[in-house]
Amino acid sequence: MRQPLRPRLARALVAGGLILSTIVPGGSVTAAEGDLILKTGTDQDLQVLNPWNSVVVADFEVYTLNYDLLVNFGPDLEPVPGFAESWTTSTDGKFWTFKIRPDMKWSDGQPATAEDVRWTYQLVLDAVAKSDASADGYYLGQGYLEPYLTNAGVTKVEAINPTTVTVTTEFANTLLLQAYVPILPKHIWSKYTMDEIANATGATAFLNEPSVVGTGPFQAVEWKPGEFIRFAKNPNYWGTQGAVDEIIMQKFASTDTMVQALKTGEIDYARGVLADQFNALKSEPNVATVEGVANGYSELSFNTGGNKKGYGGSTSALADVAFRDALGYAIDKQKLVDSTLGGYGTAGSTIIPPFHTRWHVEPAKARTFDIEEAKRRLDAAGYKLDASNKRLDKDGKVINLRLTWPDSESENATNAQFLVEWFGQLGVTVTAAVTEEGKLIDDVTGPPNGPANYDIYMWGWVGDPDPNSLLNFFRSEEIGGASDSYYNSPKYDELFLKQRAESDEATRKGILAEMQNLVYDEAPYHILYYDAELHAYRTDKFGGWTNQPSVGGTPLFGYGSRGYTLLTDASAQPSPAPSADASAATGSAGTGASAGASQAASATPSPTPASSSNSSLPLILGVLALVIIVVVGLVIMRGRNRRVEEE
Amino acid sequence: MRGGYLTRRLASAFITIALITIVNFVLFRAMPGSPERVILRGTPNVTQAQLQAARVRWGLDKPVFPDQFVAYLGSTVRGDLGYSFIARGRTVTDVLAQRIWPTVILFGLGELVAILLGLALGAYTGWRRGGPIDHVGNSVSLILYSTPYFLLGMAFLLIFATTLRWFPTFGMLTAGMQYPDPWARFLDFIAHLALPLATVSLGLVGQYAIVMRSSIVETLSEDYVTTARAMGLREGRILGRHALPNALLPTVSLIAINLGYVVAGAITVEVVFNWPGLGTLAVEALTARDYPVLQGVFLLLGVSVVLANLAADLIYGALDPRVRT
Amino acid sequence: MTVAQLQGTAPRGVHVGSGVWDLLKRLLRRPEGLIGSVILTVFIVLSLAPQLFVGPLQTAVTATAGRLEPPSGAHYFGTDELGRDMLNLTVHGARISLVIGLLATLITVAIGVVVGIVAGFVGGWLDAVLMRITDFFLVIPTFVLALILTPIIRELVGSAATEVFGIRMTLIVIVVVIGITSWSSTARIIRSQTLSLRERAFVDRARVIGAGSGHIMRRHILPNVINLIVANAVLTFAGAVLTETTLSFVGLGDPFQPSWGQLLEAARSSGAPGLGAWWYFVPPGAGIVLVVLAFTLVGSALDDLLNPKRRGRR
Repeated sequence: MRQPLRPRLARALVAGGLILSTIVPGGSVTAAEGDLILKTGTDQDLQVLNPWNSVVVADFEVYTLNYDLLVNFGPDLEPVPGFAESWTTSTDGKFWTFKIRPDMKWSDGQPATAEDVRWTYQLVLDAVAKSDASADGYYLGQGYLEPYLTNAGVTKVEAINPTTVTVTTEFANTLLLQAYVPILPKHIWSKYTMDEIANATGATAFLNEPSVVGTGPFQAVEWKPGEFIRFAKNPNYWGTQGAVDEIIMQKFASTDTMVQALKTGEIDYARGVLADQFNALKSEPNVATVEGVANGYSELSFNTGGNKKGYGGSTSALADVAFRDALGYAIDKQKLVDSTLGGYGTAGSTIIPPFHTRWHVEPAKARTFDIEEAKRRLDAAGYKLDASNKRLDKDGKVINLRLTWPDSESENATNAQFLVEWFGQLGVTVTAAVTEEGKLIDDVTGPPNGPANYDIYMWGWVGDPDPNSLLNFFRSEEIGGASDSYYNSPKYDELFLKQRAESDEATRKGILAEMQNLVYDEAPYHILYYDAELHAYRTDKFGGWTNQPSVGGTPLFGYGSRGYTLLTDASAQPSPAPSADASAATGSAGTGASAGASQAASATPSPTPASSSNSSLPLILGVLALVIIVVVGLVIMRGRNRRVEEE
Repeated sequence: MRGGYLTRRLASAFITIALITIVNFVLFRAMPGSPERVILRGTPNVTQAQLQAARVRWGLDKPVFPDQFVAYLGSTVRGDLGYSFIARGRTVTDVLAQRIWPTVILFGLGELVAILLGLALGAYTGWRRGGPIDHVGNSVSLILYSTPYFLLGMAFLLIFATTLRWFPTFGMLTAGMQYPDPWARFLDFIAHLALPLATVSLGLVGQYAIVMRSSIVETLSEDYVTTARAMGLREGRILGRHALPNALLPTVSLIAINLGYVVAGAITVEVVFNWPGLGTLAVEALTARDYPVLQGVFLLLGVSVVLANLAADLIYGALDPRVRT
Repeated sequence: MTVAQLQGTAPRGVHVGSGVWDLLKRLLRRPEGLIGSVILTVFIVLSLAPQLFVGPLQTAVTATAGRLEPPSGAHYFGTDELGRDMLNLTVHGARISLVIGLLATLITVAIGVVVGIVAGFVGGWLDAVLMRITDFFLVIPTFVLALILTPIIRELVGSAATEVFGIRMTLIVIVVVIGITSWSSTARIIRSQTLSLRERAFVDRARVIGAGSGHIMRRHILPNVINLIVANAVLTFAGAVLTETTLSFVGLGDPFQPSWGQLLEAARSSGAPGLGAWWYFVPPGAGIVLVVLAFTLVGSALDDLLNPKRRGRR
C-alpha cells in the first residue's frame, strides 16, 4: 500500500511546480531600470476600462488618464485645452467651433483628428436617439455620460476638416465645456457595433482591455482586476508628462493595509483615509496629508409623496413641508460631523456643496439645532402629542417613521443612533434598520416604476464640476427615475431649465441661489453633511503635488490627469534629505519587498517604528500571557487530576 | 461489490452537484432587488422601456420555470455563468479564472502544511497521551481551534508586518516590481505568502491534531494493538505498523469532509492579507452585490469540494477494502 | 464543524445512568470540564445582566469619552472610535454573541435531531432523500451559502426593526442562516444512533403493543439520544459563535447590537490595528477564543462522560 506513495508524491510535486510557475512566470519586463514609478492606493476597485461603463471614482480616474476630454479641467476646474487646443462660440451661443492640434497622434501612432471627436459625440447622440425611440433602445453603458451632451442640448456634431469640429446646441449654454465625455479613437472603436460598446452584458461586449489606445498622458498596459492597474507613458502625448514614468494604481481591501503600505513606502499616495488614520499620519515623516472638500453630500431624504396613492410612506405628515421643516431643527449636524466623520467634513446646508465655490450659497433662513423650537413648530403645524407623548399625524395616527440606509454605507448606522434619539425627544418614534442596497434601490424608485416604499432614508450623492447633475434629482419629471424624494415643484422645474440655458454666470448664480433656498426651505432633503476627502501622500519620492482645485482639492483623484503630469522627481531637488533619496532609489529597484520595506524603515529613523512597536507591545505580551496562562492551567489541572485518579 | 461502491459514490457526488446547481438557480431568483435595476443602479434617466429592454436581453421576461431554468441549466453545463454586474462586460468565468490560482496555492499549501504538522502533532501527543507534551500540544491545538482565522491573521499582520516589518503587508507580489531574475520574483512571492500561509496552516493544525490524537488513542486501545504489545513488539513498531495506518484512514476522510468548512476561514484570511483569491472576490462581490460572481464562487467552490470528497472516498475505498461493502 | 463530529464516533447505547447533579459533579472533576465550566459561568453571569456590571449599552449618543483612548482609570479597556467604553461594549457583546449562539444552536440541534431521528427510524426512501440533503449541507462550503442566504432571508423577514428575545431582526437572520447551514453533522450523528436503537428490544415491544411511529420516536428514541444531543449541542454552540463572528467580520452584523464579531469588524474597518489601538480588538478577540475554548472543553468532556466506551479508554 505504501510503495506507490512515492511516485505519487513526485507527481504532486511536479504539478505543484507547474502551478507555481504559472503564477510566478519568469521575470516579465515591466519597466526599465531606474524608472520612477508612482504607486497610488485606493480602497475602491477599478471595475471597467470601457469608459461608458464607468460608475466608481476609480473608473473615471483611469479613463481620464487614458483619454482627453474635448476640453480638459484646469487648475481651478476652468476649461483648458484638451483634445481641442482652442474653441470659439457664435454670438447666439448655440454654435461651437473646436480646433484640433494638426499633428496630434494616438498612443499607437495613428493621427488623432476632428473625425474622432465627431465619431465619439455621434455615438452618444445615436444612443440617445435610439433610447427615446423604442423599447429595445440603448443606454450607453451605464448611462452616466450621455447627460453631459443632452444637458448641453447638443443636436449636431460635424467634422469640417481634420482640425476643425463644430457642435450645434439647442440653446445657449456653457455646459458643453464641462462635458466629461472621453474622445475615443475611431480607428479602434468603430470596429465594434453599438451593441458591443454599449451593452455591458451582451455576449460580445467590448471591454477595452490593455493596451489601451488614447491621447491621455498615460496608457493602461496591464490590469489585474482586484489587484492593480499599470500605466506607461504615452510616447505621443501632446503636453508635458512630468517625472512619472509609470503609474500603478493598487486596490486595497482595507484602508488599514493601505495606510501601512503608505507608511512603509510601498505606495506613494493613499486615497480614502479614515479620520483617525489621517490624524496619525499628520505626524508621520515624509508624509503629507490633504483634506479635500468632497463634491457631494450625505442626506436624509423624505418620501414627500407620503401615503398618497402610489407612494408607500407610512404617514401623510411626510408630505407636509411644516413637518419636514420642524424635524430639521432636531438634527445637530455638527455633532454628526464630529462623531461619524471624526470632525472631517462640514455640517450640511444646501443641495449645492461648498465645493462649488462659485455657486454655493448659505440658506437665507438657516435652521439651528433646537429641540424646543422643533417641538413648537410641530405643535404649531398641528402635530399633537397623545397621552403617551407620541406625535399624532393629521389622520390621528401615531407617527412611526421607518429610517433606513443602504448596507453599503455602514457609517449611517451611527447617524441613525442620533436621529432615533433626537426625533424621539420630539415624540416622533423612529425605527431604524439597514436595507440591502439592491432592495433599497427598488424601494426608493417612485411611481409609476417603483413602490416608493420608505419613510426616511440616508444616502449620498456625488456631483460633477458643474452643479447641474446635483440639481436633477429634484425635478418632478424624475419621479420614477432619479428622484428619490419625489419632490414636486413646478417652480423648481422651471428654474432648472432656466439655469441650464443660462450662459451668464451672475444670472445663473442668482437662479441657483433661488433653487438652493427653495429646496432647503421645503426640505425634501435635509443635507446632513458634506464629507471631506482625506488623502495622504509621500513627499520623499515625488514633489510637485498640486491640489485641483487649488482650494478644497486633492492632488490626484480629482478631475482629470493634470495632477499626475505636474509631479517632479524629489531626488532631483536639493531640499529632501539624502537618506530619503537612497530609500526611494533602493525601494524601487530592490529585489524583495521585505528588503525594500526594511530599507525604507531604516532610512526613516523616525519615531514611527518605535512608537508602533511600543503600542503593539502590550498586545503581543497580552496574547502571550493569555496563551501561557491557559496552557499552564491545563497542564496543572491535567497533572493533578491524573494523580487523583491514580490514587 | 467494487463496482457498486464506485457507482454509489459517483451517484452521490452527482446528486450533490445537481442539488448545488438547482439551489444556485433558486437563490439567484430570490435575491433582493430586481436584477435589471441592480445592474442599472444609479443610472440617471432609466426609463421603463430600457428596463424592459434589459429584461428581454437577459431573458428575465420569460417565466422562471421552465424557460429560465432550462436556459440556466444549458448555459451552466456549457460553463457559461453569465456576466458580472460589477466588472461590466466581463464573464463570471473570466472573473473566477483570474482569482482561482491564488486561492489554490494558498489553500492547497496551507492544507498540506496543516495536515503534515497536525497529523504528526496529533499522532505524537496521542501516542504519548497523559505526558507533559500531550498536555501542552493538546492545549495549543484547542486554543488554535478556538481562534477565528482572521484574528490570528490580524495578530500576525500587526506583529510581523507592521511592527517588525519582516514581511510585506499585502498582496501576492509587489505591485509593478521589476525583477532581475525569476528567482527574485519567487522570493518576493514567498515573502508575501509567508504570513497568510502561516495563518491558514495554524488555523487548521489545531483541528487536525485533535482529530488525529483521538483517532490514535482509539486505535491504541484496539485488541490487535494489545495483542501486538503482548507479543512484545516495540512501541515504535506498533505505532508505525499498526496504529498509524489505521488511525490515518478516518482522519483523512474527515479532512476531506471538512474542506467545505475550511473555505470560510480561507475567505477571511484572504481579506485580512489582501490576497487576490476567491475569498476576497466573494467578499467584494457580497459588498458590491455582484450576485452572478457570488453564485459563481459558490458553484465553483461547491463543485470542487464535492469532487475532492469523491476523490478522497475513492482513495479511501482503494486503501481500505472494508468500506467497500 | 464541531470536534465531536470530527471525532466521528457516535456513542452506542448510552443511558442516563445517573442524575444531572451526578453528571455535573463528574464533569467538574475533569480538568477540562472544570476550566471550561468556570470560563462559561463567568461569561454567562456577565451576559445575564450586563447592565448590572457596566450599565446600559453605550451608543454613539451616550458615548462621552474621546476617540480611541487607550486604557485608563476611567476606561479600563479604553474606548472605540466613537468614544464608547470598550469594557461596556465587550460585556454587552458577550450577551449578544452568546444569545445568537444559543438561538442558532437551538435551531441547528432541532433540525438535526428531527432529521436524524426521522431518517434513522423511518428509513427507506425518506432516509435516502434526507441523507442526500444532509450530505449536500455537509459537503458544500456552507459559509459561502450563508453569505448568499443572508440578504435573501433579510428580504423575506423584511427590514422591520422588531426584536425577538431582545435581539434585532438583522441578527435573527444571522441566527436562522447559521441554523439552516449547520445542522447536517448533528443529523448524521443522531441518525446513526437511531439506527442502532431501532433494532433494540424495547422498540420492538412498543411496536408490538401498537405504538405509532411518532409515539415511538418521541417516547422511546428521543430520550435515548438525549445524552448525545446535549454533548453535541455544546460543541455546536462553539461552532455557532465562531460562524457568527466570521459572518459579522465580513460585514453582516448589526452595529446597533455589536456582538464580538461586529466589534472586531468595527475595529478593523476603523483601522484600529494599524493605529496601535490594540485595546479595541483584544477584549472581543479574547472573549471569542475563551468562550469557544470553554465550550469545546466542556463539550468534549461531556462527550467522554456520556460515552462509556470512550470513558473506559482514558
